Amino acid sequence: MTSVGRLLTARLGISILVLLGVSMLIFAIARVIPGDPARIALGPNATHEQVDKLRADLHLNEPIWKQYGYFLHDLSQGELGQSLYTNRPVTTDIAQFLPATLELIIVAGVLMIGLGLPLGILAAKHQGGTIDNLVRIIALLGVSAPSFVWAVILMLLFAFYLPLFPIAGRIAVEFDVPTITGFLLVDTLLDGQIAAFVDALRHIALPAFALALSGIGQAARLTRANMAETYHSPYIEMARSYGFPEWRIARRYAFKPSLTPSLTIIGLDFAAMLGNAFLVEAIFAWPGLSRYGVAVILRKDLNAIVGTVLIISAAFLIANLVVDLLIALINPRIRYSRGRV
Amino acid sequence: MTHPLLNIHKLRIAFRTHTKQTDALKGISLHINSDERVALVGESGSGKSVTARAVLGLLQQQRGIEIGGRIEFEGQDVALLKDSERRQMRGTKISMIFQDPVSSLNPVFRIETEFLEVLRRTNPKVTLPAAREQAEEMLRKVSIDDPHRVLRSFPFQLSGGMNQRVMIALALINAPSLLIADEPGTALDVTVQDQTLRLMRRLVEDHRAAVLLISHNLGVVREFSDRIYVIYRGRIVEEGPTGAVFADPIHPYTRALLAAVPRITKSGIPKLVDDISQFTEPCEIHPARA
Amino acid sequence: MRRAAHILFSRPLSIAGVVLIGTVILSALFADFIAPFPDHRGTVVDFTNFNQPPGWTNIMGTDLVGRDLFSRILYAFRLSLILGVVVLSIATPVGVAVGLAAGYLGGWVRFVLMRTTDVFLSIPPLVLAMSIMGVLEPTLFNGMIAVTAMWWPWYARLVFNITLVEREEGYVRAAEVIGASRVHILFVEILPNCVPAIITKMTLDLGFVILIASSLSFLGLGVQPPTPDLGSMVAEGARYLPDSWWLTVFPGLAILVAVFGFNLLGDALREILGADL
Repeated sequence: MTSVGRLLTARLGISILVLLGVSMLIFAIARVIPGDPARIALGPNATHEQVDKLRADLHLNEPIWKQYGYFLHDLSQGELGQSLYTNRPVTTDIAQFLPATLELIIVAGVLMIGLGLPLGILAAKHQGGTIDNLVRIIALLGVSAPSFVWAVILMLLFAFYLPLFPIAGRIAVEFDVPTITGFLLVDTLLDGQIAAFVDALRHIALPAFALALSGIGQAARLTRANMAETYHSPYIEMARSYGFPEWRIARRYAFKPSLTPSLTIIGLDFAAMLGNAFLVEAIFAWPGLSRYGVAVILRKDLNAIVGTVLIISAAFLIANLVVDLLIALINPRIRYSRGRV
Repeated sequence: MTHPLLNIHKLRIAFRTHTKQTDALKGISLHINSDERVALVGESGSGKSVTARAVLGLLQQQRGIEIGGRIEFEGQDVALLKDSERRQMRGTKISMIFQDPVSSLNPVFRIETEFLEVLRRTNPKVTLPAAREQAEEMLRKVSIDDPHRVLRSFPFQLSGGMNQRVMIALALINAPSLLIADEPGTALDVTVQDQTLRLMRRLVEDHRAAVLLISHNLGVVREFSDRIYVIYRGRIVEEGPTGAVFADPIHPYTRALLAAVPRITKSGIPKLVDDISQFTEPCEIHPARA
Repeated sequence: MRRAAHILFSRPLSIAGVVLIGTVILSALFADFIAPFPDHRGTVVDFTNFNQPPGWTNIMGTDLVGRDLFSRILYAFRLSLILGVVVLSIATPVGVAVGLAAGYLGGWVRFVLMRTTDVFLSIPPLVLAMSIMGVLEPTLFNGMIAVTAMWWPWYARLVFNITLVEREEGYVRAAEVIGASRVHILFVEILPNCVPAIITKMTLDLGFVILIASSLSFLGLGVQPPTPDLGSMVAEGARYLPDSWWLTVFPGLAILVAVFGFNLLGDALREILGADL
């Protein structure tokens, strides 16, 4: 499929440019900081000489575009600098915390698609009925509370009052899982520990659901709207005139064309989840990027802030790239027209 | 054959919303014999398309629609059939051509997929290569010279006229005994519409299919059909062999319709050749301007 | 107007939206009169009466230093609404101006403006606000700056898309032919066509600004104690789950009620104004 390849290259190019823009923006934000990061890092007891030396090491005395130049140079080597908070390379820190966050988001994404799309299809089939109204209310409620509120409510209901799920953490302490990919759900299976896998799954269930809730509602609502619109299109009437069974029309004729807008919103929801993961992680004591992110922000740890935001934005851009690719695979019109951009 | 192929008897259709009821058809009767081409003519909103959808059994399953009277197809009362039996009939014994060919073909399917799906209505075991072969043959019959390319295309990659021919080929590939054509090609320009009708006429003759042509344009109908029904506000106001109706319209509405037909030449637009190379230069650029 | 009233008052969900929003706005406006303990919005400490479950005197219970939760939630509503109104009244004009200019002018102006918008939009919303809060001191004013900075690009994109369509319309071409100025075309001809979409989006967004602002303060990056804020109240109470459930559940539900109300209202407006977002 050369057309898909062309589209992918074009999008990849744009994404890299946008990421460069993001790095500039974040860099600019990080440098307008009031107060001296070197002083903050070394604490009030450090001498003037020590602070000056650190300022020089961090190139803080040079003009901002030169600092950005150093930053880009380091970035091209895969270096994001040293964290002043942990005294380790930022890349090491991120590599340690990112997998837990990604795992949470991926499971939430699966929940969002796996529950949102079917609910939307169901609502479209029963337009104006009870199920339709129910989905509408669920969707509106889902987006109406920040995910930390849902996290609290789910935790109270299903961990305290009905102790079906563990309260916090990623996995029970008695399991010893070697770090292979960093994704516990994968590592437990690779190590052949089925019990540990089940335990990890039970741990991730509530946080992932809390994170997915607003996305489930939105995906359901949008899918419903698009399915309803597709059902009124001439090609569905034509399919009916050829006597195809209704389930086949729903599955084969209506679903695919109405999927494009749903996929677009899923891309956007992914962005929201990357941010909301911070909120859910805080409630469920999930050892992901959240605690690290908030800690480095509160300590004005420049390199760590820039690195964290950059990685999150990159994850977002990659997710959008995947969404674009899926849309192109589903929708031939986009594949053949926008591929030439 | 004692029965007509299609017999509609005092068909009434009403749409109900919470507040009011709208009568779309107020008891129309018409029949079509095998091999016969019949036209149903009337202005938009007169109830033509509703009739077509009722014959196909597409209205029966919708909420808020009241149907009275009788529709008999091959001597069988359609209302007595189960939903699934009505469905069985569609696409095999009765098929339909829609007004707008481009939006009536699914945008995410290649043309060959459409053919495969439709062929599977009669023969569920048909393979893609076999379907392709049958489709190519059928596409040649609708004067498509490069069926291979067309089969591999998506609807938006083809012109409106091409899509229209694809629709005709799809409608006829299962050799239905009745073809319903709802304003075929009105969404296209006049020359393409004319070609479409010529093609359709030739093909239904070959396939020995009966046709119910629905149109608002008497000029189109004149060349195509054996008999005409004129429908006005949900009632049949005039019927008869085409020649007779044109020669001596009785109902004032028919006269008004006839008066509205533009008369350029005796037989409408002159037959155009498909082959572009026949359009020699002077046809495109007048020598005086070249 | 009659149709609008009909849509607004004929459906249970729209009525619910009007009622919820009415309640929230009224309780914010008249917090001084409704709140049983108005002084509890500040640094009052009452250790004889701390961490009490809901009861007759404190219908939503008391917090860890004995302040009435209900009173604090009323004042938190006031703060949230002020924040939402201020953020949107800055973010909307900025975004609209950028979108109009980029959509109508084209060329390098469009390139620079829209690529900048794209950059802002490609950082997950909450993360952008967090990193801005990171460099600034966590105060109410800075919180407003952070949320405003992440909000304007959405209006820029919305107005840009509408402008792209409208500038090709006959009435704009006609105005160009008779020699109307660019300012006239942008603000008198095109802008009114964006208004339904902008108003609908602002209604929905008022809820979402409250939501994002509460998320920031939940992370400790927003309004600081003792100012009553729904997000920081949830964060404080979360450590005392499940025993002191009222500490988190009531502020959490308060956010839900306010945002849900604006969502219902925005949904009804979307239909009344025919705005396609």
